[in-house]
Formats: sequence, C-alpha cells, structure tokens
Amino acid sequence: MGDNKRYPELRRRVSPGWWTASRHYAMYMVREWTSLFIAVYSLIFIYGLSLWATVSRANFLNFLKNPAIIGFSLAALVFTMYHAVTWFYLLGAISPIKIGRSKTKPWQALVLNLVLLVIVSYLAIWLLILR
Amino acid sequence: MSQDIATIRVTRYRPEKDSKPYFQEYKVPYRHDMVVLDALNYIKAEMDGSLTYRWSCRMGVCGSCGANIDGEPKLTCASFLHDFKGRTITVEPMANFPVVKDLVVDMEDFMEKLVKIKPWIIREKETPPEQGEYKQSAQELERYSQFSSCINCMLCYAACPIYGLNEKFLGPAATALAYRYIEDSRDQGKDVRFPIVHEMEGVWECTLVGECSVVCPKGVDPMLAIQKAKILGATNAIKSILMPRGGR
Amino acid sequence: MKVEAHKVARLHAILWGIFSLGGMIAAFLLPVLIYLTAIAYPFNLWPFNGTRDPSFLITGHRLGALFIFVTIAGSLYHGIFRFQSALTEVGLIKYRRALEAVGYFVIFVGIIVLGYYLATWYLNGTIT
Repeated sequence: MGDNKRYPELRRRVSPGWWTASRHYAMYMVREWTSLFIAVYSLIFIYGLSLWATVSRANFLNFLKNPAIIGFSLAALVFTMYHAVTWFYLLGAISPIKIGRSKTKPWQALVLNLVLLVIVSYLAIWLLILR
Repeated sequence: MSQDIATIRVTRYRPEKDSKPYFQEYKVPYRHDMVVLDALNYIKAEMDGSLTYRWSCRMGVCGSCGANIDGEPKLTCASFLHDFKGRTITVEPMANFPVVKDLVVDMEDFMEKLVKIKPWIIREKETPPEQGEYKQSAQELERYSQFSSCINCMLCYAACPIYGLNEKFLGPAATALAYRYIEDSRDQGKDVRFPIVHEMEGVWECTLVGECSVVCPKGVDPMLAIQKAKILGATNAIKSILMPRGGR
Repeated sequence: MKVEAHKVARLHAILWGIFSLGGMIAAFLLPVLIYLTAIAYPFNLWPFNGTRDPSFLITGHRLGALFIFVTIAGSLYHGIFRFQSALTEVGLIKYRRALEAVGYFVIFVGIIVLGYYLATWYLNGTIT
C-alpha cells in the first residue's frame, strides 16, 4: 500500500449520536453523565455553605429543605450510586487479586467494595454526628 | 426440497465508479454451520466476483477478516450465521477506518502505530549468544503473556469511539503491545516506550469505554493494559517531581 | 516544542491521578453525605432524628470540616473532569481546550471558596 491512491478513500465521520448505536455505548454514556450530577451537587453544597457564611446558618438549613434541592439531591444520590457500582466493578476488572491459582472476578470486587461503602458510611456518621 | 436462504447485505464502494457507498443484497443458500466468511466466499465464487474483502486463515488466528457485522466489529470467519437473529445479516467495513473498496479498509494508521511503539526487546546492552539465552520464569511470563496474544485484527479500533472521534489516539492494540514489552522482564526499553505511551494522544485519551476488550477475539483485554499504563504514567509523573534525579 | 509536549503530558498524568482519587472519594464518601443532607435531615431520619442537623458536620468535630472538604473537593474535581470529557464525546470535541479551561476554572474557584469557608470556621470558630 503506497502513496499512489488514485481514487478517493471513503472517510466516514462519527456522528454525535454514535452512542445510541448499541446498549453498551448507551450505558457508557449514562455512566459518564453521572459526573454532571456529582459536579452540580458539589457546587450546590458550596452554594449552601455560602448562604451560611453570608446570611445565616438557618438559611443554609432551610436551603437543604427546599423541595427542588431535595429532588435534585435524590437524583444525584441515585447517579452517585451508579458511579460507585460501575467504579467498583472497574476496580475489580483492573486489579484482580490472586488467590492461589485463580483470580478474583469483577463482581466479587463490586460486592466487597459495596460492603466497604456501608462500613465507611456508618463510620462517618458515628465519628462525625453521633459522638 | 426447499432450501434455506440467508440474505447478506454488503456495503459496496467502488471509488472508480461510485462517489457514495451503497448496500447490495445477495441471497445465499444457508447451512447451519456457515460463518459469514463462507457466505462472502460463496457470493464471490458463484454470484459476484467483484466483491472485495480480506481473509486468510479462516480460523481466527490471522486477523485479516475483520468487519462490522450487524453493527458490531467481528471476524467474519468467527461469526456463525445462526448466531444472528433472522436470516438477514448486514456486513459493513470495520468502523473508524477509511474504506479503500467494498469491505477493505486502509490499515496504514494502525501499522504506523504498531511500529511507533517499537515492538521488540530493547536491551541496554545485548549479551552475546555464547552467554546463553535470557532466562524468564513462569511468573514473569505470566505478567505479559495475555497481551502478546494480539492478532492485529483491529476490531478494538473499530469498537473504540474515542479512536473514531480522534484518529491521533494511540489506541487499544498498540498500547497493549507496548505494555506487553514494558512488562516483559527481558525488556529494558521503558525510557523509550513510556514517552510514547504517556504522551497526550497515548493512554490519556482513553475514557474506559471498554468495548475494545469486549470485541477482542483473543482475550487480550487491551482496556486492562491501558489502565495499567495510566497508573504507571501517573506514578512515574509523581516520582519524577518528587525525586527528579533519583529512583525508578 | 517536544519538551513542552512532554511536560504537558506529565502534568496531565498527575491531573488524571487526582481524578482517579476523586473517583474513589465520590464512590466511598459522597453517598453518605447526600444521604445526610437530602434524606436524613429533611425527613427527620437517623442520625438526624434528634436535635442535630447537617451544620454539625462542620461545627461538631475538626474531622467534620476535613471530611466535607475532601468529599466535596474530590467529587467536584472528578465530576467536572469527567463531564468535560463526556462533552467532547457528544460532538463538542472542537471546543476541547475551551471546555478544559472552563472546567479547571470552575474546579479552582469551587475549591478556593470551599476551603475559605472551612478554613474560616477552623480558625475563627464561625463560618461567616
């Protein structure tokens, strides 16, 4: 194959809707867009803190009780969990642990890390709220 | 005796005649054990000698016969007709590559990338043959043997949307091959390969779609190689800042 | 020019490392924070079924302010980094550099503001 291309090659461009072609691609896009909810929740939280700093603590707490904020936060929680689940699965795929002659499977890493998530969450509540 | 028929829709593109590609349908006698390559060979032998496609070993080891079958990158020699719903199957050239004719794609970019990562053992100093071979344990072999199974079929590039969006991306197979040498205990070429793998169009373009590993017919798992290369890149970058003169 | 490219790549490697760390943080620490602020507090559920409220996360223990900072900063970084790459994948690849610039700017401002409020609390005993 040299440089003597006498006839034009067909170049096919990828359209912005490429991810609708298969379920795998669509699930990948969903996974990536969970990042929007994570980023916006973080910004909303910082905004809430700014209300505390510039107005009052009560203002911050009322902000948390705003139905729109609760609604968005619940959606953010769902998507954060989806991020966590896909993240744990990827951890399992990338770093399998050798046990004897066999290696751990990704779903096992998912289960293990979900258990860890529950433990860490409880620890956070115990250390920061209950004490 | 009524015969079972399969309908094969193939992309035709003849640059000397057409400015645009089109689909051509062929009705092929169907046997349960047929693969798509059998159908293409039947078409070329009995119906239309102008149909153009690559193939060689017909048993999934040469990597020549990649195509997008019903939208998914697959080897035509490894795709049984009975695995597809219905008896109509669409065969297109592998995605993300320029098409030369019909199902034949231009492999130039891929070949350049294979060479770019220097796919050979690099030694600081070669020991003369009289001193014997470079010894390697079974454990050392296992660290990279999976990544040496690549048959260069390019299905991973056809499956990778990032490569489709940005042709400069080094891509799954080339990175997996580079990683195969990085992990080979006989190789001492990290200084040469790391800059290539860790440049902006190297591993950093990858966003873990993971389709490359799904379509790979040999279980190479290029996604894993890219991720491990990313981790190496990040730890190296931190090391080179914290210990600019020392440590490797 | 080649030296420049190598430095940019090295910087990107570190930025990716932080993104990865942010992903861990978002997976392990963010869920409980959202639970506390959006479910436990508004609906009076454990552990906010008594007198305490989410502000206690900052006023209660030193560790709380650190927890908030790590969780929000890590999640913000991870979210924006990934979102800007997701945008390039749906047709905006031409505006890549601009998206990166805006993304890093938002991350920078967000973390500075967050750090400022938490540091003010830490040093002055009041967030104002």
